[in-house]
Amino acid sequence: MTRADKFLLAGLVLFSLLSMAALYSRFSGGDDKLQSSKAVISVQGKILRTIDLTPGTRSSFTLQGRLGPSIVGVEGNRIRMLEAPCAGKVCVNQRWIENPGETIVCIPGEIMIRIEGTAPLDAVTR
Amino acid sequence: MIRQRKLLLSALGVLLIVLLASFQYSRRIREYRSEHFLMDTLISIKVYGRNQEVLKKAVAEAFAEMRRIAELADGFPQPGTAAYGSSDVCRINAQAGKQPVMVDNDIMAMLELAKKYHHISLGAFDVTIGPLMELWGFGGEAPHVPDAHSIQAALARVGSDKLVLNGHERTAFLTKAGMKLDLGAMAKGYAAEKAIWILEKNGIEKALIDAGGNVRTLGRNVHEAPWKIGVKDPRKSAAVTAVLQLENASAVTSGDYYRYFEAGGKRYNHILDPRSGYPAVRTMSATVVTKDAGLADILSTVFFVLPPEKALETAGKMSGVEVFLVTADGRILHSSSLKGRIEVLPGDSYRYDQGR
Repeated sequence: MTRADKFLLAGLVLFSLLSMAALYSRFSGGDDKLQSSKAVISVQGKILRTIDLTPGTRSSFTLQGRLGPSIVGVEGNRIRMLEAPCAGKVCVNQRWIENPGETIVCIPGEIMIRIEGTAPLDAVTR
Repeated sequence: MIRQRKLLLSALGVLLIVLLASFQYSRRIREYRSEHFLMDTLISIKVYGRNQEVLKKAVAEAFAEMRRIAELADGFPQPGTAAYGSSDVCRINAQAGKQPVMVDNDIMAMLELAKKYHHISLGAFDVTIGPLMELWGFGGEAPHVPDAHSIQAALARVGSDKLVLNGHERTAFLTKAGMKLDLGAMAKGYAAEKAIWILEKNGIEKALIDAGGNVRTLGRNVHEAPWKIGVKDPRKSAAVTAVLQLENASAVTSGDYYRYFEAGGKRYNHILDPRSGYPAVRTMSATVVTKDAGLADILSTVFFVLPPEKALETAGKMSGVEVFLVTADGRILHSSSLKGRIEVLPGDSYRYDQGR
């Protein structure tokens, strides 16, 4: 084996190891996301913002739905709709959500708040 | 020389492995999901497959079909708007008592189904319930209890026997002035079933459509196991009373908790018994499991309106149809054929006799 061969071999081994590492991280990327708690808010099908749900924090903010402003409250790892301009107030009455896959949906305002991650159930008939 | 060849071969081998690995990666099953506000609810479609472009195209076509049916079946757009013009239901309603109206194939199919199940359910299912829904105000913002006289007057304008269909001419006719179709109890399920058909046509083998809680699954889930579908607890917001295992089947629920109001300490829900003109009160929720989402949607209303024991008996006579009921007095009942595919979680709130 010449010196060049050794370099080539070392280079190839390094390349394949790096490729495997890259593939592995892409594979497991999804699972890592499940661990952290994040809420995704979308209005009329477009993602408006993503909120980190961090224990010990508390905040609220206003967002613009189809009907007008709604107020969202965040407390630790849970999130809820505090005020909404719709008539039904289904979203407000739903109160807090905190588990992966849980959603608050305001149909007249076309707002959806969803906790990231996979729910233990595929869907709920209601 | 031999050494160099060996080295070259092993280098090629390593490259091949890397290439294969990346190929495998690109071929693995992915999820694609999309959500749209449609038919007064949020509709979500999840599909699984190896080719992202195929998944995207299939879902876009499925949504286009659902939107088309939504527009044809929409009973509430403002007169004069574009939505009003494209609604077959609005055109039929506008010509009530005047003349038959030519309609789209899908509206014709829905109305034929509606008449069939009106007959089978002995009138518990009726798409001509529009005047009653309007009187109670369930479509609008201020629902209220109407007086008995107005209910009798509205009942005179309800009845699928006064809906005349002509399959040859593809026309529908409400024979009495003031009659009104309301496809709210069947359009979402029908549209979900059409969407599944479009997905299948595009080669999709695994999918889940959730049309505001009307669930239709295609194939098995991504782990090659049956889909796990919860049945909402009719009184506790985040809880479920049962978990169903579904494979290529639908689960649709009619409940008294979705749209209701309270007056004089009484709860009035939006599912009216078309024979009495008052809300059906013997059941909190009725869930139907069957393959076709359109049929499941219709039957969930039928089994909600019928007395619970009668609902169980009627479901028992239909092949491939199962029902799960939470009765107004807190009992859980279900078709015995669901055994093995259902886990009942009665908690402290409901009574469940497993012997049934």
